[in-house]
Amino acid sequence: MNIQNVNHLVHAYKVAPWRVQRQWIGTVLIVVIALAMISAIFLDVSSRTALAGREILALTASISTSQKNSGDLQTQLALLTSASVMEQRAQDLGFHAVETADMEYVIVPGYTAPSPKILSSSSVPQLSALSIPPEYNESLFEWLDKKLASSTRGQ
Amino acid sequence: MRQQYARRTQLIIAIMGFVAFAIIFQMVRIQNSSQAPDFLGLGDGFQYEWKTVFPDRGEIYDRNGHLLAGNKTVYEITVDLNTVKSPETIASTLSRELGSDYAMVLDQIQNPDPGIVSVTVANPVDQQDGLRLVELTNNDVTGDLRGLNFIKHPKRSYPENSLASNVIGYVNGDGLGYFGVEEKYNNILAGNAVPVAVPVDPNKVSEIPHIPNGTTLILTLNRDLQASAEKILDDAISKYGATRGTIVIMDPQTGELLTMASTRRMNLNQIWDYGSTFDNASDYNPAISIPYEPGSVLKILTMAAALDSGTVTPGTTYMDTGVIYVGGVPIQNWDRNPWGIQDMTGCLQHSLNVCMATLSTSMGATTFYSYMDKFGLGHLTGVDMGGEAAGRLKIPGDGDWYPVDLGTNAFGQGVAVTPIQIMTAASAIANHGNSVTPHVLYATVRHERQYKSDAVFSGSPISAQTADTLNEMLANSLEFEGSMALVEGYRIAGKTGTAQIPGEYETDATNASFIGWGPVDDPKFMIYVWLERPTASIWGSETAAPVFAQMAEKTILLLNIPPDSVRKQIAQQ
Repeated sequence: MNIQNVNHLVHAYKVAPWRVQRQWIGTVLIVVIALAMISAIFLDVSSRTALAGREILALTASISTSQKNSGDLQTQLALLTSASVMEQRAQDLGFHAVETADMEYVIVPGYTAPSPKILSSSSVPQLSALSIPPEYNESLFEWLDKKLASSTRGQ
Repeated sequence: MRQQYARRTQLIIAIMGFVAFAIIFQMVRIQNSSQAPDFLGLGDGFQYEWKTVFPDRGEIYDRNGHLLAGNKTVYEITVDLNTVKSPETIASTLSRELGSDYAMVLDQIQNPDPGIVSVTVANPVDQQDGLRLVELTNNDVTGDLRGLNFIKHPKRSYPENSLASNVIGYVNGDGLGYFGVEEKYNNILAGNAVPVAVPVDPNKVSEIPHIPNGTTLILTLNRDLQASAEKILDDAISKYGATRGTIVIMDPQTGELLTMASTRRMNLNQIWDYGSTFDNASDYNPAISIPYEPGSVLKILTMAAALDSGTVTPGTTYMDTGVIYVGGVPIQNWDRNPWGIQDMTGCLQHSLNVCMATLSTSMGATTFYSYMDKFGLGHLTGVDMGGEAAGRLKIPGDGDWYPVDLGTNAFGQGVAVTPIQIMTAASAIANHGNSVTPHVLYATVRHERQYKSDAVFSGSPISAQTADTLNEMLANSLEFEGSMALVEGYRIAGKTGTAQIPGEYETDATNASFIGWGPVDDPKFMIYVWLERPTASIWGSETAAPVFAQMAEKTILLLNIPPDSVRKQIAQQ
């Protein structure tokens, strides 16, 4: 800032001091409004995240309950299809246990004997909170930081 | 005036500035003080809620996916003694709905131990009954059921009741496995109860720890075969008047146990029956826990040792005079008669004690006991169930070993083994010289992935040539004898055993056994039958052998094993 500009400001202040004050007030107001807007957005995002978090907690509890109910039903089903029950049902329906004399073996080309049970299925996703997408637990600042970092890498 | 305001303003600004500075200074000072870590820890403590998570116990399935042990939700019903209004109504309601003892419940509520604020009046209560009581309590407008509390918790459930109870074992009220696979695999079934920090802040939901349930087990057992074995065993015990029995079926090529049936058995959903069912812990699964003198089934091991060491060949003959003296003690055949000139197949066919004692003494103690050791006698087999016993094989140098033991051990007396030990040893004969480690775990399921448990070979006590030769001899001996163990259409190898009960060696009290496998050229099953003290006949050939045949027929059907002729046709194609 050279001396001419300073003199100009001093002169302007002397002529109309309120003009400079208004400029300052305006600048401060702009900063305050900007901060308020950012805070409002932050508050909004945070509250949404908190709600989603609560929902996830409730869903996690619900999954746990469902798994327990599933276990109960599985055990109940096993009771209804236990060896003794099935044998009794077969007998009631008029079946009898097969004897070796009843058996006739036929050669079927390409037949393969069944192998023991495979209980697991890789298509079933593992239930874990780690699979929650970042939209549900990322703060605004983290989102900004990630975007900035990615744009920097892009350059 | 204006100057005065200006000074006041400056003073206020100075004071506020000082206060602000002091606050900032204090904040910085606290952050860097020596107590800072303590404060930080204190703060962190409020961010999380500590909970102990008890994962669900892993399930147990048979090889075909039938549930053998699962979990179900039950209720524990307690009464809060501080808020209870009408003990009589609670007692009568529980008596009506659950069949509880009215007087006992009333006494529990009215006369609690000093200092007790809550008493358990029913546990475990089935979910259906529990829910009905919860509804009754919720709809109770009079408030007479006030004080009743319902606590949900998981409980082990066994849908097949007593089926395979000897193998599965059970879980007590504290969640600890006893006997069988429940004991052996307790650690992986139960999972670990872990204290976890659950974040209070919903923004930290990604930090919710995932506690996996206990590992699920798939057993090698075949449920339907197990049910058949238990039925056949129960019928045999009744038919032959035996006090106890065991039937074990194993795949001799892999060591997979397909069936392990024993008496007695208990309903695993009623573990309080344990005390009235079993006299002691070893009774729970005699197949692995009770060593006994097996008698002549052990002759197959003596013959294997004699053939493998080159002491004899199948065609070697000897003159059976009906008696041999070992260590100055006479040893006689089972019928106390001489059998004349016999070859080695004849020895097995007629189950000649004198022949076996001749073989063991010809081999010498060092060679004979070395082979018995390699067959695993006196050692744990490593079967994956709780409570296995090692049995006893006395050897020279032991205080209770006498020279006559070399003769008697050769035909299965003076030596204590479990059925599973004999099967492990015999698997070497059925499996071209390689013995397998018996196991009941087929696979584990963890994190949605199934991990297979592979066959483990425990050694090669004899050569493949010896094994194949002996296999043939054993099959021939059964056929020449016209054994009751034979199964039409299938070639079977095996050996009976009849042993007097040690101690007084009562003549009419025996252990009747049979071990056999088939089809001989590609064994798919090995069956061991043990009947204790049969009264209809003392001989294994008349009791255990027909039970073997019955079990073998059922096994052939359930495992879909075609007759030898059909298999040969398939092989030729």
